[in-house]
Amino acid sequence: MQFFTPTPTLVGLRRSLKAVGKFARELFSRPPTAAGTLTVLFFLFLAVFGPQIAPYPDPNFQKNPSQEAPTLNLREFRLGDYPFGTDRLGRDVFSRVILGTRSIFRAAGLGTLIAVIVGTFVGLFIGYQGAWVDEIVGRIIDAILAIPALLLALVIIGIIRNLNFEPNSWQSEVADNAVLIVIAIVYAPIVARVVRSATLEIKSRQFVEAAQIRGESPLYIIFREIFPSVIPALVVEGALRFSYAIFLVASLGFLGFGARPPSPDWGLMVSENRGGLYALTPWALEYPAGAIALLVIGVNLMSDGIKRTVQKSG
Amino acid sequence: MDKEILLHVENLNVSYRVNGGWLRAVRDFHAQIRRGDICGIVGESGSGKSTVATAIIGYLSDNGRIEKGSSIRFSGEELTTKGRLAMQSLWGTQIKLVPQNPAAALNPSIKVGEQLAEIARYHLGMNRHDARKAAVEMFGKVQLADPESVVFRYPHELSGGMQQRVVIAMALITRPRLLILDEPTTGLDVTTEAVILDLIRDLIDDMQAAALYITHNLGVVAQVCDQVIVMYAGEIMADGSVKKVFIEPIHPYTIGLLNSIPKLGQSKRQGALQSIEGSPPSLKNPPKGCVFAQRCPAAVEKCYTEKPELEHTHEGRLVRCHRWQEIHSGVLDIIPETQADVEQVERLERESLLKVENMTKHFGVRRSLMEVIQGKKPAPIRAVDGVNFGVQKGRTLGLVGESGSGKTTLSRLIIGLTERTDGEIELMKIKIRSNVRERSADVLAQMQMIFQNPQNSLNPYLTVGQQIRRPLMKLAKMKHDEAAQEVYRLLRAVNLQDDYASRFPGELSGGEKQRVAIARAFASNPELIICDEPVSALDVSVQAAVLNLLARLQEDRDTAYIFISHDLAVVGYLADYIAVMYLGQLFEVGYGHDLFEPPYHPYTEALISAIPVPDPSHVSQRIRLQGDIPSPRSLPTGCRFHTRCPRKIGAICETEDPPWRDDGEGHFIRCHIPLEDLQAMQQQLVMAEASS
Repeated sequence: MQFFTPTPTLVGLRRSLKAVGKFARELFSRPPTAAGTLTVLFFLFLAVFGPQIAPYPDPNFQKNPSQEAPTLNLREFRLGDYPFGTDRLGRDVFSRVILGTRSIFRAAGLGTLIAVIVGTFVGLFIGYQGAWVDEIVGRIIDAILAIPALLLALVIIGIIRNLNFEPNSWQSEVADNAVLIVIAIVYAPIVARVVRSATLEIKSRQFVEAAQIRGESPLYIIFREIFPSVIPALVVEGALRFSYAIFLVASLGFLGFGARPPSPDWGLMVSENRGGLYALTPWALEYPAGAIALLVIGVNLMSDGIKRTVQKSG
Repeated sequence: MDKEILLHVENLNVSYRVNGGWLRAVRDFHAQIRRGDICGIVGESGSGKSTVATAIIGYLSDNGRIEKGSSIRFSGEELTTKGRLAMQSLWGTQIKLVPQNPAAALNPSIKVGEQLAEIARYHLGMNRHDARKAAVEMFGKVQLADPESVVFRYPHELSGGMQQRVVIAMALITRPRLLILDEPTTGLDVTTEAVILDLIRDLIDDMQAAALYITHNLGVVAQVCDQVIVMYAGEIMADGSVKKVFIEPIHPYTIGLLNSIPKLGQSKRQGALQSIEGSPPSLKNPPKGCVFAQRCPAAVEKCYTEKPELEHTHEGRLVRCHRWQEIHSGVLDIIPETQADVEQVERLERESLLKVENMTKHFGVRRSLMEVIQGKKPAPIRAVDGVNFGVQKGRTLGLVGESGSGKTTLSRLIIGLTERTDGEIELMKIKIRSNVRERSADVLAQMQMIFQNPQNSLNPYLTVGQQIRRPLMKLAKMKHDEAAQEVYRLLRAVNLQDDYASRFPGELSGGEKQRVAIARAFASNPELIICDEPVSALDVSVQAAVLNLLARLQEDRDTAYIFISHDLAVVGYLADYIAVMYLGQLFEVGYGHDLFEPPYHPYTEALISAIPVPDPSHVSQRIRLQGDIPSPRSLPTGCRFHTRCPRKIGAICETEDPPWRDDGEGHFIRCHIPLEDLQAMQQQLVMAEASS
């Protein structure tokens, strides 16, 4: 036939697209999962288009500082005004909550992504190699896991912050993204563990042995034969890590180790508006705290749904 | 024949809810079981046999339901309308189930005696002391050696055969009136299976209970059952007494099944096996006519359009076929003439291909803390211990033995997936390295392997085409386009269409997957293929086709096989030479046809005697091996088989390694008994069997 015949790769691509579509359909068929996924997508949308949506794209825009006490008037709910009220410095809470999504997605999302990538490589490698490599790297991972995540995060941030870098050097760039790096460092070992155990299970399958008896290189076996079977476990673990990461980022912000004032970070906003000032501007604390809760619940529902879907489809 | 009908199933229809629709898994099922009878249900996987069992005991999974109009009467009582609570008292005392996997049925953290006594206390109202006594007594009845001490053991301390006895004891302690056995011997070795089957038969006769025996093994049915129901795709195909159904089968499916199993001693040189082509229909949209029509050699126009009714024959049998009368009267002969795919040969001997010398594998054992303190070194597990053999070009060496005999380890040593402790392998006169990673591509290309479970041996995320192309490019050094063409050639060689190349393994049936695995093994055109139980995971009807395929490919390509199986009949069909392995050593080596005639090694004799033969008129010689295979950590002294040997002659067996005895014609037996004496003894048994 001279006409177009689908090559195996194209067929494979179409099939995997189909598989993704089926996965999404199954995900949305369970109401809690659908709600969670929609919440996450909503926040993701805010993170991407935040500056375009927020009535006051400059997070530090202040109402005339000399003006009277801040207000929250729900009856006059109008975008462009102050739907969530203003904080004690007269900044629009609504805009700051919207703008805060970007920083949380950046630190938690990107951090988790790096953790997943690094963890996958390490886990695949030690799981396949086994023997002393697994023994040594495995023990190091165990040692890291023995330290509580928050404590470890605080220590690492403390170290990074205390290094005095020249402004605008690459090192200072690193220091600015300390939270992101911390997420990656704290969660990579956990992902590595999960991938390692999945690899160990798949390694014993006979298609891996079939690859060995035709003399395939370890790299080929790891990435072509084993990796695809690890993906389901990886997706589940990644989604779970993401929800923990959001929590960790918010906690760090709250403790003052995350973003520095005056940046619009949810954890930081909660921290700034608590204490004696809470009575004056309760909404300035409640809205960012609510946003954290909503996003964490959303991600949890989503990751739980992903887990069920993956387990169901085996 | 006028025994009381204990279980009467009429018009049973069971459906499962799958993806929003109802799947009719069992349709129009009938059965009558009388007291003291064992009724067998045979069928392939997916035939609905287990669904029938769970429906009868009212234990369907949540997505299953019994349709209206079904009736299950247990000694006059209707069970379908009973609730869970009412069923519970029946489950406890009247109807008992023996499941397939005894390890899963026992609580791992409670002593087996306690688990048994608990049933006696709860359902029979015994006190603690009496219940314990009843447990010991019951363990004695199921022939567990030393029942007083077994009651204090945990399930993991017992072997599979012993666990199954415990489960049977648990089922029988309340003297149930109906026993449902769901493949109770499938996970066991033939030698153990034979003993358990004898036990079941004796216990049922003794207690006058009725039993429903579910299995895929026709041999087992012939050995223990009185009645048999043959199921296919959720429907009864034939029903009747075992003698009638097996000796004068009138349904094409029964005939096909019986002919697809290799008989003991049947060889590939006598003719190909009669396989049932195709695969069972999907239950989602069952065919309009007969469910078996697509695979039936006698199907006519009517079979595709009109559903046959379950008819009564004059002998009180049931059959579902439009043409049974023609088959019965002999007008229609549906056994096709088959020609051997394999040529007769004058001489079996050919040039040597593979030579294995003194092959040894000792697995190290981790020392316990106590052993470290005492400075002791634990004995290694001697999985394979000094094995010598050779394989000739284009010939098949069959390797048989129970599980734990070391046959799989031996195959892995040869292919290089396990590193050997000692020994040499020569392939075409060249010594090859121990580890597969150190072997050159030329060596790898000459030696390939077909694994036991096709589910596991194909990567679920790569297409069939990709998986076959890889060895072509890697080992046969083909270019991409050339390899793509060769993939189609290989697929056609294993009777699959070209479009299978773009499918994923998940879309194939078990038999098709194994064909793909075979195509992949043949891709590099190897001189030797190691087949590790390649058909044991397949249904009987599919098994025959795969065996035929292996025989044909060997003939076409002149490839040698090392064929490993626990099934002597299968090995006997394919093998030119057979080696019998026990506890890491070979005990008998000979020509394939020699092995089924005396003299044979006492171990081989026991293996052959244990095979359930699908012929109810066959009287087995009843040589049963007692006990289990000893641990390879502490091997028996002298002859390793002496602990279980039915023909042990005395102290010499316990102290001295037996010598190899040679009949001068290539048949070797490793035993203290001279060949002439063995032959005389065994001939006597064979004669006795023939005259009975």
